[in-house]
Amino acid sequence: MADGKNQSLFKDKPVKVLLAKPGIDGHDRGMFVLARAFRDAGMDVLYAGLLPTPEEVVDTAVNEDVDVIALSLLNGAHMVVFKKVADLMKKRGITDIAVVGGGTIPDSDKPKLEKIGVSGNYGPGTRLSIIIDHVRERAAEARKKKMGSE
Amino acid sequence: MENDLYSDRALDLLKGIYPSTGHAHVVGITGPPGVGKSTLIGSIVPLLMEEGKKVAVIAIDASSPFSKGSILGNRIRMQESLTKHSVYMRSLSTRGLNGGLSFSALGTVKILDAAGYDTIILETVGAGQSDLDIMRLAGTVTVILAPGLGDEIQAIKAGLMEIAHIFAVNKSDRDGAFQAIKDVQDILMTSMQGDWKIPVVGTSTVTGEGLRELVAQMERHASFVPSVKDRGSVLKNELSLIVESELMKMFYRSMENDRGVTDIVGEVSDGSMDPFTGSRRIISAISEKINSSATTLP
Ligand SMILES: Nc1nc2c(ncn2[C@@H]2O[C@H](COP(=O)(O)OP(=O)(O)O)[C@@H](O)[C@H]2O)c(=O)[nH]1
Ligand SMILES: [Mg+2]
Repeated sequence: MADGKNQSLFKDKPVKVLLAKPGIDGHDRGMFVLARAFRDAGMDVLYAGLLPTPEEVVDTAVNEDVDVIALSLLNGAHMVVFKKVADLMKKRGITDIAVVGGGTIPDSDKPKLEKIGVSGNYGPGTRLSIIIDHVRERAAEARKKKMGSE
Repeated sequence: MENDLYSDRALDLLKGIYPSTGHAHVVGITGPPGVGKSTLIGSIVPLLMEEGKKVAVIAIDASSPFSKGSILGNRIRMQESLTKHSVYMRSLSTRGLNGGLSFSALGTVKILDAAGYDTIILETVGAGQSDLDIMRLAGTVTVILAPGLGDEIQAIKAGLMEIAHIFAVNKSDRDGAFQAIKDVQDILMTSMQGDWKIPVVGTSTVTGEGLRELVAQMERHASFVPSVKDRGSVLKNELSLIVESELMKMFYRSMENDRGVTDIVGEVSDGSMDPFTGSRRIISAISEKINSSATTLP
């Protein structure tokens, strides 16, 4: 039987996002705001917990089969920590989960992050709708790869 | 995997692994929000692993009825324990889809079972028919309550009393725990699940009280379960779940693809046909389709 065009009821399960603040960073309020915004945009949102290591973030993302890992850091450690996550993904050959970043990231670091696959990199005060659209876009790419790789 | 559990490919996969399933002990954990189900799972996981069991957890959170999105908050309550003991956990959301959810849960349980997990813990918020359906996948259903919420009454109303094999009154470190345990015992006085007398265990994830007893009761029930009749009813539940979801799949597919069916839907929506006639017509259109494809089935 041919699959229908609109399989929304069964096939298009909501975008699944893992929110994580790896490394030492005490600011959690922003994460809750994001979590709620993602949920209200129809996504399934997971929260990686307090101070997860990059390994834990990647483990959780794989076990939960998320589409997107959304990393956030306000302490300036992004070049180390985001890179660690991206490296782990690469090492494990994970290509069907997208990584987006956010936090206080100087413009000069953004291209470097993009290059290792961490996109977005929005600063505090960015409109939520912009972040949501970006996550959706990356999720669609990831989902396509998931379907293709099965 | 739960992406397209409805695809024929997914069904073939499940059919293929089915002979390797049936070994796992599926433990359902259900009860009102906030009684400490997720925390309790985090606390009993190490006890199960101590006994050399391979443990996996599937936890279901409610989707927002508005956006259909959800915050999958169960994981965070047990994250520490999961990480420490490298336990596999998968979070699912209800997505406002009843039959579909149970089928996702069924598929996930079967895959974990075939993968060699000994104990699969299933957490749901004990509310509504879909939750009760999911609990039918569990060989041992544990209902968790907490003191001071009037939960006992809620549990009776929600039909949890009928499906429970074990009761735990969690937060037994709190005032009123003793009374709550006694209340549940009183309500259960006459309740049996077959020959099984339903135990009531007081637990606390704070003091650790009762956790070992809870695990012991779960295991006692596991060895009690496989009476032929009980095994039969689990299989029957599985079958009806699969049939239900297959029928739903056919229905939604034909709502999207099948001209005959979309025409009927159109007539009902513009008021020119009553929904009862419409429903009959749709069902006969679908069964015709099944009949004509029956010859091509493997
Ligand atoms: N006092 C006390 N609090 C507990 C206990 N178990 C869990 N909690 C708390 O109850 C709240 C809800 O726990 P959670 O596991 O999310 O409940 P669930 O909604 O049933 O899964 C959390 O704040 C827990 O820390 C317990 O044994 N005693
Ligand atoms: Mg919970």
